[in-house]
Amino acid sequence: MAGMVETSDAAEGRMRLTVLGGFLGSGKTTWLRHQLHHGLLADAFVVVNEAAETPVDDALLSQSAELAVVAGGCACCEARDELVALLRDICDRRVSAEGRRPDRIVIETSGLADPGPIVSAIRSDPMLAYHIVISEIVVAVDAVYGLEQLRQEPLSRRQMELADRLVVTKIDEADEAALARLLATLKAINPGAAISGAVKGSDAALPDSGSAEPEVLGEVGDGGAPIRALKLEIGEDIDWTAFSVWLSALIHARGDDILRVKGVVRTPAGRLLLQSVRKIVQSPEILPDDRPLGDDNGLVFIGRGFGTDQLARSLRHFAGLRE
Amino acid sequence: MCSSCGFPAAPGHWTEAGAATPHDRLRARFRRAQVLQSVLPAYGLTAHDGAQVPGIQLGTLSGSQTIVRDLEEVWAEAERLSGKAIDPLDPRFIGEETP
Repeated sequence: MAGMVETSDAAEGRMRLTVLGGFLGSGKTTWLRHQLHHGLLADAFVVVNEAAETPVDDALLSQSAELAVVAGGCACCEARDELVALLRDICDRRVSAEGRRPDRIVIETSGLADPGPIVSAIRSDPMLAYHIVISEIVVAVDAVYGLEQLRQEPLSRRQMELADRLVVTKIDEADEAALARLLATLKAINPGAAISGAVKGSDAALPDSGSAEPEVLGEVGDGGAPIRALKLEIGEDIDWTAFSVWLSALIHARGDDILRVKGVVRTPAGRLLLQSVRKIVQSPEILPDDRPLGDDNGLVFIGRGFGTDQLARSLRHFAGLRE
Repeated sequence: MCSSCGFPAAPGHWTEAGAATPHDRLRARFRRAQVLQSVLPAYGLTAHDGAQVPGIQLGTLSGSQTIVRDLEEVWAEAERLSGKAIDPLDPRFIGEETP
Protein backbone atom coordinates (compact mmCIF):
# COMPACT_ATOMS: atom_id res chain seq x y z
CA MET A 1 0.00 0.00 0.00
CA ALA A 2 2.30 2.66 -1.32
CA GLY A 3 4.56 2.67 1.71
CA MET A 4 1.99 4.40 3.88
CA VAL A 5 1.22 1.56 6.27
CA GLU A 6 3.19 1.85 9.46
CA THR A 7 5.63 -0.79 10.47
CA SER A 8 5.46 -1.73 14.12
CA ASP A 9 8.71 0.16 14.73
CA ALA A 10 7.53 3.32 13.10
CA ALA A 11 4.25 3.27 14.96
CA GLU A 12 5.71 2.48 18.32
CA GLY A 13 4.36 4.83 20.92
CA ARG A 14 2.73 6.99 18.31
CA MET A 15 -0.92 7.39 17.52
CA ARG A 16 -2.02 5.94 14.23
CA LEU A 17 -3.97 8.29 12.08
CA THR A 18 -6.33 7.35 9.28
CA VAL A 19 -7.36 10.00 6.80
CA LEU A 20 -10.77 9.22 5.36
CA GLY A 21 -11.45 11.14 2.18
CA GLY A 22 -13.65 10.94 -0.87
CA PHE A 23 -15.78 13.27 -2.95
CA LEU A 24 -19.06 14.82 -1.83
CA GLY A 25 -21.60 12.13 -1.07
CA SER A 26 -19.24 9.24 -1.72
CA GLY A 27 -20.25 7.50 1.52
CA LYS A 28 -17.48 8.45 3.94
CA THR A 29 -19.69 8.90 7.00
CA THR A 30 -21.68 5.75 6.30
CA TRP A 31 -18.50 3.70 6.03
CA LEU A 32 -16.99 5.26 9.14
CA ARG A 33 -20.17 4.79 11.12
CA HIS A 34 -20.13 1.11 10.31
CA GLN A 35 -16.47 0.74 11.25
CA LEU A 36 -17.18 2.42 14.58
CA HIS A 37 -20.12 0.14 15.23
CA HIS A 38 -18.21 -3.02 14.45
CA GLY A 39 -15.37 -2.03 16.66
CA LEU A 40 -12.72 -1.82 13.96
CA LEU A 41 -12.11 1.81 14.82
CA ALA A 42 -14.04 1.76 18.07
CA ASP A 43 -11.43 3.38 20.26
CA ALA A 44 -10.58 6.06 17.74
CA PHE A 45 -10.76 9.77 18.32
CA VAL A 46 -12.84 10.97 15.38
CA VAL A 47 -12.25 14.37 13.81
CA VAL A 48 -14.92 15.43 11.35
CA ASN A 49 -14.18 18.23 8.91
CA GLU A 50 -17.04 19.88 7.07
CA ALA A 51 -16.82 22.52 4.39
CA ALA A 52 -20.07 24.11 5.45
CA GLU A 53 -20.43 26.02 8.66
CA THR A 54 -23.18 23.75 9.94
CA PRO A 55 -21.93 20.31 10.77
CA VAL A 56 -24.32 17.43 10.08
CA ASP A 57 -22.17 14.32 10.16
CA ASP A 58 -21.41 14.56 13.87
CA ALA A 59 -25.04 13.65 14.59
CA LEU A 60 -24.42 10.33 12.85
CA LEU A 61 -21.18 9.44 14.51
CA SER A 62 -22.34 9.38 18.10
CA GLN A 63 -20.84 5.92 18.58
CA SER A 64 -17.29 7.15 18.44
CA ALA A 65 -15.33 7.25 21.67
CA GLU A 66 -14.59 10.94 21.21
CA LEU A 67 -15.48 13.35 18.49
CA ALA A 68 -14.40 16.80 17.46
CA VAL A 69 -15.70 18.89 14.58
CA VAL A 70 -13.74 21.27 12.39
CA ALA A 71 -16.45 23.10 10.46
CA GLY A 72 -16.58 26.08 8.16
CA GLY A 73 -13.81 25.24 5.75
CA CYS A 74 -11.74 22.44 4.28
CA ALA A 75 -9.03 21.03 6.50
CA CYS A 76 -6.76 21.16 3.45
CA CYS A 77 -6.93 24.96 3.15
CA GLU A 78 -9.00 27.41 5.25
CA ALA A 79 -9.30 25.18 8.30
CA ARG A 80 -5.81 23.67 8.20
CA ASP A 81 -4.51 25.66 11.18
CA GLU A 82 -7.58 24.73 13.17
CA LEU A 83 -7.00 21.06 12.42
CA VAL A 84 -3.34 21.25 13.40
CA ALA A 85 -4.27 23.00 16.66
CA LEU A 86 -6.85 20.34 17.42
CA LEU A 87 -4.40 17.51 16.76
CA ARG A 88 -1.79 19.20 18.96
CA ASP A 89 -4.36 19.39 21.69
CA ILE A 90 -5.01 15.64 21.39
CA CYS A 91 -1.26 15.02 21.59
CA ASP A 92 -1.02 17.22 24.70
CA ARG A 93 -3.74 15.27 26.37
CA ARG A 94 -1.99 12.06 25.57
CA VAL A 95 1.17 13.02 27.39
CA SER A 96 -0.66 14.46 30.37
CA ALA A 97 -1.75 11.99 32.97
CA GLU A 98 -5.40 12.84 32.79
CA GLY A 99 -8.19 11.49 30.66
CA ARG A 100 -8.34 8.84 28.02
CA ARG A 101 -5.37 8.39 25.76
CA PRO A 102 -6.46 7.57 22.26
CA ASP A 103 -4.26 5.27 20.20
CA ARG A 104 -5.95 5.99 16.96
CA ILE A 105 -7.33 9.07 15.26
CA VAL A 106 -9.60 9.15 12.23
CA ILE A 107 -9.99 12.38 10.28
CA GLU A 108 -13.05 12.38 8.10
CA THR A 109 -12.30 15.11 5.60
CA SER A 110 -14.90 17.20 3.86
CA GLY A 111 -15.86 16.04 0.39
CA LEU A 112 -14.02 19.03 -1.02
CA ALA A 113 -10.72 18.35 0.71
CA ASP A 114 -7.54 17.21 -0.94
CA PRO A 115 -5.95 14.72 1.48
CA GLY A 116 -2.46 15.67 0.25
CA PRO A 117 -2.09 19.02 2.07
CA ILE A 118 -3.61 17.51 5.23
CA VAL A 119 -0.99 14.78 5.26
CA SER A 120 1.82 17.21 4.60
CA ALA A 121 0.56 19.60 7.30
CA ILE A 122 0.72 16.79 9.84
CA ARG A 123 4.09 15.55 8.68
CA SER A 124 5.68 18.97 8.64
CA ASP A 125 4.60 19.91 12.13
CA PRO A 126 7.34 18.75 14.51
CA MET A 127 5.06 18.04 17.40
CA LEU A 128 2.53 16.13 15.35
CA ALA A 129 5.22 14.18 13.53
CA TYR A 130 6.55 13.07 16.91
CA HIS A 131 3.21 11.82 18.17
CA ILE A 132 1.33 10.75 15.08
CA VAL A 133 2.05 8.29 12.32
CA ILE A 134 -0.23 8.40 9.31
CA SER A 135 -1.24 4.83 8.85
CA GLU A 136 -3.55 4.98 5.91
CA ILE A 137 -5.41 7.20 3.50
CA VAL A 138 -8.78 5.64 2.78
CA VAL A 139 -10.82 7.18 -0.02
CA ALA A 140 -14.46 6.36 -0.64
CA VAL A 141 -15.49 6.14 -4.29
CA ASP A 142 -19.12 6.30 -5.36
CA ALA A 143 -19.86 3.26 -7.55
CA VAL A 144 -22.59 5.15 -9.41
CA TYR A 145 -20.96 8.55 -9.96
CA GLY A 146 -17.27 7.66 -9.53
CA LEU A 147 -16.41 7.54 -13.23
CA GLU A 148 -18.22 10.77 -13.98
CA GLN A 149 -16.41 12.47 -11.11
CA LEU A 150 -13.09 11.19 -12.43
CA ARG A 151 -13.89 12.72 -15.79
CA GLN A 152 -15.17 16.05 -14.55
CA GLU A 153 -13.74 16.86 -11.16
CA PRO A 154 -9.98 17.22 -10.88
CA LEU A 155 -10.28 17.17 -7.09
CA SER A 156 -12.04 13.84 -7.13
CA ARG A 157 -9.27 12.37 -9.26
CA ARG A 158 -6.58 13.71 -6.89
CA GLN A 159 -8.36 12.10 -3.94
CA MET A 160 -8.46 8.72 -5.68
CA GLU A 161 -4.86 8.93 -6.82
CA LEU A 162 -3.64 9.57 -3.28
CA ALA A 163 -5.41 6.68 -1.59
CA ASP A 164 -3.78 3.68 0.02
CA ARG A 165 -7.16 2.04 0.07
CA LEU A 166 -10.11 2.74 -2.16
CA VAL A 167 -13.49 1.72 -0.82
CA VAL A 168 -15.99 1.54 -3.64
CA THR A 169 -19.35 2.29 -2.02
CA LYS A 170 -22.95 1.63 -3.09
CA ILE A 171 -21.89 -1.26 -5.33
CA ASP A 172 -25.39 -2.72 -5.13
CA GLU A 173 -26.73 0.33 -6.98
CA ALA A 174 -24.30 0.34 -9.89
CA ASP A 175 -24.67 -1.31 -13.24
CA GLU A 176 -22.32 -4.31 -13.50
CA ALA A 177 -20.52 -3.25 -16.67
CA ALA A 178 -20.10 0.32 -15.42
CA LEU A 179 -18.73 -0.96 -12.11
CA ALA A 180 -16.21 -3.20 -13.90
CA ARG A 181 -15.09 -0.22 -15.94
CA LEU A 182 -14.74 1.93 -12.83
CA LEU A 183 -12.64 -0.76 -11.12
CA ALA A 184 -10.39 -1.11 -14.15
CA THR A 185 -9.98 2.67 -14.27
CA LEU A 186 -9.16 2.85 -10.55
CA LYS A 187 -6.51 0.15 -10.99
CA ALA A 188 -5.03 2.14 -13.86
CA ILE A 189 -4.84 5.48 -12.05
CA ASN A 190 -3.75 4.10 -8.68
CA PRO A 191 -2.19 0.66 -9.16
CA GLY A 192 -0.79 0.58 -5.62
CA ALA A 193 -4.06 0.96 -3.78
CA ALA A 194 -6.03 -1.89 -2.28
CA ILE A 195 -9.59 -1.79 -3.57
CA SER A 196 -12.55 -3.10 -1.61
CA GLY A 197 -16.31 -2.82 -1.96
CA ALA A 198 -18.98 -1.70 0.46
CA VAL A 199 -22.75 -1.61 0.67
CA LYS A 200 -24.17 0.71 3.34
CA GLY A 201 -20.82 0.66 5.10
CA SER A 202 -20.46 -3.16 5.29
CA ASP A 203 -17.81 -4.94 3.31
CA ALA A 204 -19.12 -6.46 0.10
CA ALA A 205 -17.35 -8.53 -2.51
CA LEU A 206 -16.42 -6.72 -5.69
CA PRO A 207 -17.06 -8.34 -9.03
CA ASP A 208 -14.03 -9.21 -11.10
CA SER A 209 -13.26 -6.32 -13.41
CA GLY A 210 -12.32 -9.05 -15.90
CA SER A 211 -11.71 -7.82 -19.37
CA ALA A 212 -13.16 -4.34 -18.77
CA GLU A 213 -11.04 -1.63 -20.34
CA PRO A 214 -10.03 1.27 -18.15
CA GLU A 215 -11.34 4.62 -19.27
CA VAL A 216 -8.69 6.81 -20.82
CA LEU A 217 -8.94 9.98 -18.80
CA GLY A 218 -8.04 13.18 -20.53
CA GLU A 219 -6.73 16.24 -18.85
CA VAL A 220 -9.41 17.60 -16.61
CA GLY A 221 -9.90 21.30 -16.76
CA ASP A 222 -10.70 23.40 -13.76
CA GLY A 223 -14.15 21.78 -13.57
CA GLY A 224 -15.96 25.01 -14.49
CA ALA A 225 -17.14 27.42 -11.82
CA PRO A 226 -15.76 26.70 -8.36
CA ILE A 227 -17.80 24.48 -6.08
CA ARG A 228 -19.18 26.36 -3.11
CA ALA A 229 -20.94 25.32 0.06
CA LEU A 230 -23.75 27.50 1.28
CA LYS A 231 -26.39 27.28 3.93
CA LEU A 232 -30.06 27.94 3.37
CA GLU A 233 -32.12 28.75 6.46
CA ILE A 234 -35.51 27.19 5.95
CA GLY A 235 -37.24 28.36 9.12
CA GLU A 236 -38.72 26.37 11.96
CA ASP A 237 -42.25 26.37 10.62
CA ILE A 238 -41.39 25.13 7.14
CA ASP A 239 -44.26 23.54 5.23
CA TRP A 240 -42.65 20.19 4.48
CA THR A 241 -44.95 19.40 1.55
CA ALA A 242 -44.26 22.64 -0.32
CA PHE A 243 -40.59 22.26 0.58
CA SER A 244 -40.44 18.72 -0.81
CA VAL A 245 -42.18 19.81 -4.04
CA TRP A 246 -39.60 22.57 -4.36
CA LEU A 247 -36.53 20.49 -3.54
CA SER A 248 -37.56 17.56 -5.74
CA ALA A 249 -38.03 19.94 -8.69
CA LEU A 250 -34.73 21.66 -7.96
CA ILE A 251 -32.83 18.39 -7.80
CA HIS A 252 -34.47 17.17 -10.98
CA ALA A 253 -33.61 20.34 -12.89
CA ARG A 254 -30.22 21.12 -11.35
CA GLY A 255 -28.96 17.74 -10.16
CA ASP A 256 -25.79 18.03 -12.20
CA ASP A 257 -24.81 21.28 -10.47
CA ILE A 258 -26.16 20.61 -7.00
CA LEU A 259 -23.65 18.01 -5.97
CA ARG A 260 -24.82 17.60 -2.42
CA VAL A 261 -27.65 18.66 -0.14
CA LYS A 262 -27.73 17.78 3.51
CA GLY A 263 -29.36 18.97 6.65
CA VAL A 264 -31.87 18.27 9.37
CA VAL A 265 -35.50 19.33 8.92
CA ARG A 266 -38.17 19.23 11.60
CA THR A 267 -41.49 17.80 10.42
CA PRO A 268 -44.64 16.48 12.09
CA ALA A 269 -43.06 13.04 11.56
CA GLY A 270 -39.92 13.91 13.53
CA ARG A 271 -36.45 15.25 12.86
CA LEU A 272 -35.44 14.08 9.43
CA LEU A 273 -31.91 13.89 8.17
CA LEU A 274 -32.13 14.71 4.51
CA GLN A 275 -29.30 14.14 2.09
CA SER A 276 -28.83 13.92 -1.62
CA VAL A 277 -26.00 13.15 -3.99
CA ARG A 278 -26.75 14.74 -7.34
CA LYS A 279 -30.16 13.38 -8.38
CA ILE A 280 -30.34 10.63 -5.79
CA VAL A 281 -32.03 11.47 -2.50
CA GLN A 282 -31.60 9.00 0.31
CA SER A 283 -34.65 7.94 2.35
CA PRO A 284 -34.55 10.47 5.18
CA GLU A 285 -33.37 9.05 8.47
CA ILE A 286 -35.45 9.77 11.56
CA LEU A 287 -33.13 11.24 14.17
CA PRO A 288 -33.71 11.25 17.91
CA ASP A 289 -35.37 14.43 19.12
CA ASP A 290 -32.62 15.58 21.43
CA ARG A 291 -31.48 18.94 20.12
CA PRO A 292 -32.76 22.43 20.75
CA LEU A 293 -34.92 23.85 18.00
CA GLY A 294 -32.42 26.40 16.73
CA ASP A 295 -29.94 23.72 15.68
CA ASP A 296 -32.08 22.45 12.84
CA ASN A 297 -33.78 23.69 9.74
CA GLY A 298 -30.75 24.77 7.84
CA LEU A 299 -29.81 22.93 4.70
CA VAL A 300 -26.32 22.85 3.29
CA PHE A 301 -26.11 23.03 -0.50
CA ILE A 302 -22.81 22.23 -2.18
CA GLY A 303 -22.42 22.85 -5.87
CA ARG A 304 -22.10 25.52 -8.49
CA GLY A 305 -24.28 27.93 -10.42
CA PHE A 306 -26.62 29.14 -7.67
CA GLY A 307 -26.63 31.50 -4.70
CA THR A 308 -28.27 31.59 -1.28
CA ASP A 309 -30.52 34.47 -2.23
CA GLN A 310 -31.81 32.71 -5.35
CA LEU A 311 -32.56 29.53 -3.41
CA ALA A 312 -34.27 31.43 -0.59
CA ARG A 313 -36.48 33.43 -2.96
CA SER A 314 -37.43 30.36 -4.93
CA LEU A 315 -38.31 28.39 -1.80
CA ARG A 316 -40.33 31.31 -0.43
CA HIS A 317 -42.23 31.41 -3.69
CA PHE A 318 -43.08 27.69 -3.54
CA ALA A 319 -44.00 27.79 0.15
CA GLY A 320 -46.42 30.65 -0.52
CA LEU A 321 -48.24 28.96 -3.38
CA ARG A 322 -51.99 28.68 -3.10
CA GLU A 323 -54.34 27.97 -5.95
CA MET B 1 -29.39 2.49 6.43
CA CYS B 2 -27.98 -0.53 8.16
CA SER B 3 -30.27 -1.44 11.05
CA SER B 4 -27.43 -2.21 13.41
CA CYS B 5 -25.54 1.06 13.29
CA GLY B 6 -27.96 3.57 11.79
CA PHE B 7 -31.14 5.41 12.54
CA PRO B 8 -34.38 4.15 10.99
CA ALA B 9 -35.18 5.47 7.54
CA ALA B 10 -38.61 6.86 6.76
CA PRO B 11 -40.47 4.46 4.42
CA GLY B 12 -41.71 5.42 0.95
CA HIS B 13 -40.52 8.16 -1.36
CA TRP B 14 -38.40 10.74 0.45
CA THR B 15 -40.82 13.57 -0.31
CA GLU B 16 -43.49 11.75 1.72
CA ALA B 17 -41.33 11.44 4.83
CA GLY B 18 -42.78 14.52 6.56
CA ALA B 19 -46.13 12.92 7.39
CA ALA B 20 -46.40 9.94 9.71
CA THR B 21 -50.10 9.68 10.58
CA PRO B 22 -52.92 8.87 8.09
CA HIS B 23 -54.39 12.30 8.73
CA ASP B 24 -51.09 14.08 8.01
CA ARG B 25 -50.54 11.96 4.91
CA LEU B 26 -53.95 12.85 3.50
CA ARG B 27 -53.43 16.53 4.20
CA ALA B 28 -49.97 16.38 2.61
CA ARG B 29 -51.41 14.87 -0.57
CA PHE B 30 -53.97 17.67 -0.94
CA ARG B 31 -51.34 20.31 -0.22
CA ARG B 32 -48.95 18.71 -2.72
CA ALA B 33 -51.62 18.79 -5.43
CA GLN B 34 -52.33 22.42 -4.55
CA VAL B 35 -48.69 23.47 -4.95
CA LEU B 36 -48.32 21.49 -8.17
CA GLN B 37 -51.51 22.97 -9.56
CA SER B 38 -50.07 26.46 -9.03
CA VAL B 39 -46.83 25.63 -10.82
CA LEU B 40 -47.74 23.32 -13.71
CA PRO B 41 -50.41 25.26 -15.68
CA ALA B 42 -47.77 27.76 -16.80
CA TYR B 43 -46.14 24.81 -18.56
CA GLY B 44 -49.38 23.60 -20.16
CA LEU B 45 -49.94 20.86 -17.59
CA THR B 46 -52.41 20.13 -14.82
CA ALA B 47 -52.13 18.10 -11.63
CA HIS B 48 -54.89 16.43 -9.63
CA ASP B 49 -54.89 14.19 -6.59
CA GLY B 50 -58.28 13.28 -5.18
CA ALA B 51 -56.64 10.85 -2.72
CA GLN B 52 -59.01 8.14 -3.98
CA VAL B 53 -56.38 6.23 -5.93
CA PRO B 54 -52.62 6.10 -5.37
CA GLY B 55 -50.51 8.53 -7.34
CA ILE B 56 -50.87 11.96 -8.89
CA GLN B 57 -52.85 12.55 -12.08
CA LEU B 58 -51.02 14.69 -14.59
CA GLY B 59 -52.83 16.07 -17.60
CA THR B 60 -52.04 18.13 -20.64
CA LEU B 61 -54.20 20.90 -22.02
CA SER B 62 -55.12 18.60 -24.90
CA GLY B 63 -56.77 16.29 -22.40
CA SER B 64 -54.39 13.36 -22.20
CA GLN B 65 -53.95 11.98 -18.69
CA THR B 66 -51.30 9.96 -16.96
CA ILE B 67 -50.82 8.79 -13.38
CA VAL B 68 -47.41 9.04 -11.76
CA ARG B 69 -46.32 7.63 -8.41
CA ASP B 70 -44.42 10.45 -6.76
CA LEU B 71 -42.88 13.89 -7.21
CA GLU B 72 -39.76 12.51 -8.84
CA GLU B 73 -41.93 11.09 -11.61
CA VAL B 74 -43.94 14.31 -11.79
CA TRP B 75 -40.84 16.31 -12.76
CA ALA B 76 -39.57 13.66 -15.17
CA GLU B 77 -42.96 13.42 -16.86
CA ALA B 78 -43.37 17.20 -16.91
CA GLU B 79 -40.01 17.51 -18.62
CA ARG B 80 -41.03 14.92 -21.17
CA LEU B 81 -44.40 16.56 -21.88
CA SER B 82 -43.29 20.17 -21.95
CA GLY B 83 -39.90 19.58 -23.52
CA LYS B 84 -37.82 21.12 -20.75
CA ALA B 85 -37.19 20.70 -17.06
CA ILE B 86 -39.15 22.92 -14.70
CA ASP B 87 -36.41 24.82 -12.90
CA PRO B 88 -37.28 26.44 -9.55
CA LEU B 89 -34.42 28.88 -10.14
CA ASP B 90 -36.14 30.15 -13.28
CA PRO B 91 -36.69 33.94 -13.05
CA ARG B 92 -40.45 33.36 -12.92
CA PHE B 93 -40.02 31.72 -9.50
CA ILE B 94 -37.46 34.04 -8.00
CA GLY B 95 -38.94 37.32 -9.14
CA GLU B 96 -40.39 39.60 -6.54
CA GLU B 97 -43.97 39.24 -7.81
CA THR B 98 -46.22 37.01 -5.74
CA PRO B 99 -48.42 34.39 -7.42
